[in-house]
Amino acid sequence: MAEQIATLPYGVGRASARWKLLVAFLAGIAILGWYGWYLEIRRGMIVTGLRNIGPMGGATWGFDVGFVVYWAGVSFAGITMAAVIRIAKLRQLRPIARMAEALTVVALILATFAIMYDLGQPFRGIINLFRYARPQSPFFGTFTLVISGYLFASAVYLYLDGRRDAAICARTPGRLQWFHRLWAAGYRDTPLERERHERAGFWLAVAIVPLLVTANATLGFVFGLQVGRPGWYSALQAPAFVLLAGVSGIGMLIGIAAVVRRTVADGERLSDDVFRWLGNALMFLLLGYLYFMVVELLTNVYTGSEREREVTAALLSGRYAWIYWGSVALFVIPLALLIVRYFRRGGGLATLVASGIMVNLAAIGKRFLIVVPSQTHGTLLPYGTGSYVPTWVEWAEMAGLFAFGALLLALFAKLFPIMPIGERDDA
Amino acid sequence: MVIDLDRCTGCRGCMEACKIENNTPQATFWMYVFRFEEGEYPGTKVWFMPRPCMHCDNAPCVKVCPVGARYKREDGIVATDWDRCIGCRYCEVACPYGVNTFNWTHPEEQYYLDWQDPGVASTTGGSVPPWSNPDLELPYGPEERRIAGGGRNKGVIEKCTFCVQRVEKGLDPACVVSCPVKALVFGDLDDPDSAASKLLASRHSFTLLEEVGTEPRVHYVGGHPPHSESKQVEAVEARV
Repeated sequence: MAEQIATLPYGVGRASARWKLLVAFLAGIAILGWYGWYLEIRRGMIVTGLRNIGPMGGATWGFDVGFVVYWAGVSFAGITMAAVIRIAKLRQLRPIARMAEALTVVALILATFAIMYDLGQPFRGIINLFRYARPQSPFFGTFTLVISGYLFASAVYLYLDGRRDAAICARTPGRLQWFHRLWAAGYRDTPLERERHERAGFWLAVAIVPLLVTANATLGFVFGLQVGRPGWYSALQAPAFVLLAGVSGIGMLIGIAAVVRRTVADGERLSDDVFRWLGNALMFLLLGYLYFMVVELLTNVYTGSEREREVTAALLSGRYAWIYWGSVALFVIPLALLIVRYFRRGGGLATLVASGIMVNLAAIGKRFLIVVPSQTHGTLLPYGTGSYVPTWVEWAEMAGLFAFGALLLALFAKLFPIMPIGERDDA
Repeated sequence: MVIDLDRCTGCRGCMEACKIENNTPQATFWMYVFRFEEGEYPGTKVWFMPRPCMHCDNAPCVKVCPVGARYKREDGIVATDWDRCIGCRYCEVACPYGVNTFNWTHPEEQYYLDWQDPGVASTTGGSVPPWSNPDLELPYGPEERRIAGGGRNKGVIEKCTFCVQRVEKGLDPACVVSCPVKALVFGDLDDPDSAASKLLASRHSFTLLEEVGTEPRVHYVGGHPPHSESKQVEAVEARV
């Protein structure tokens, strides 16, 4: 039977000792994160570094909200890639479609966790957000479009797109056969079925692209519509959120693709072409985002109100300067590397992966800077400046989410082919 | 509510009265009194500005609440249903006045005294005072929603209620009745004969942060809004 399982592609169903060790390590960190959440539920959010805005001199939104936005952003790239590949018929990129779809679903699950971490009454939230939903709240978009709509659509897309591979895998007897049979759900790969899936996938992709733009825009509106918070109120927030989502998502996808190429059998299917395409996409998105940053900065410095200038000063030369300039550097350095790559038409995979990691660190920094300084330095009444320092609980929760995400992807790669099997012969 | 800044002496008695009436936890101030200093020595001027919730007509907190826990009552009070609040704190970031307070932990752990402590219990006779005021647990208004009092639940947002439990009985809020110089006047601003309306009509008035369009229902007479020269002195250390 072992031989039969071994015929499943890309190492599905075969766990090496290294993989098991990795999974155990990731599970350990994830559990530490959930322990942090347990403390939060038991003792209240006093275990975080968050405090009230105003007389208490704190920030009431911090890491949790920043990472909700970050993970929702990362999810952007996955399904966009999959949809663009299908709509624009970029055949050479097909090997990356599956992992991109999986990344989207995983990132959205993490975003949902981050929302739960942020709620003072998380279990009440699960019920009340549906029971008393108010479309007038910018949060409505977060819960409906981002979490319910986008996550659901992405999961359906992943499912439909994987059905053919599931049917192929289900021919191989073994421990996972029931799972692949379940996924295939009677699919037999007849020409009619294939045609029908192709059509459904195409239209789902067409529907998902505007959905994800709207979804990420609503996250921008959560901040951009607040006139009472200097630094937030801006029409640029929504489109800037969409662009930064693309930057962090493509960056993450590059990292995952590189890991798959190195560790999975037959990983070379992810050709240099795929990486070149991803690198170029990242470069153009970065250029776009930096343009937005400059426009925003100029507007605030030139015409900002007194409080807006105070927030900007805190970013440029105050308490948050190291994060701000650090993020700028982590955007500009990868951009320079990518531009060099673009013109030389070469360059190692290592620089590309480094760029992906750098832009993600920068995106986390930027998300933090969008959320926090407007609370600590942006009170319209003269309360004085506040401060926010995350506690170990918040660090553990966020590290736990990263680990949990990696764990889900690692498990997925062993349950299902991480790349579509073979070349599709239907084009 | 109309606040006469010419009368306020900055004694912060209203802050204390609010805490006692509403039984708010440690470091929670629904009513806050700014003490401001302006000008250069020796020409400095000190003035005071009480800041309750503004109970805005165009309240940003009401707009953003994803579950309708924050709502505007018929009588103008902006209320928080602490049975429904999920603790997302969006109202808090949306409010430009900084009036919202979150229950960061179990409120009973966050009062100034540990009532179970043997030393304290020997003085109190073992009674556990504040949060037993039954009025704070009752539903109010035609909506029959529980909106009164502070420190009801861990993980929910609360703020100034204009002492709804008193207003419904025809009484003035605690801050108003406790003010020794009658700087705070409470009443129906839609009724031209109310004391508040008369005071408002008789003097030059302003509301806080008019430019953000929240249409506050707390008006100030006498004095001026704080500006870039108004430096807060003797800020309350409210971090726990």
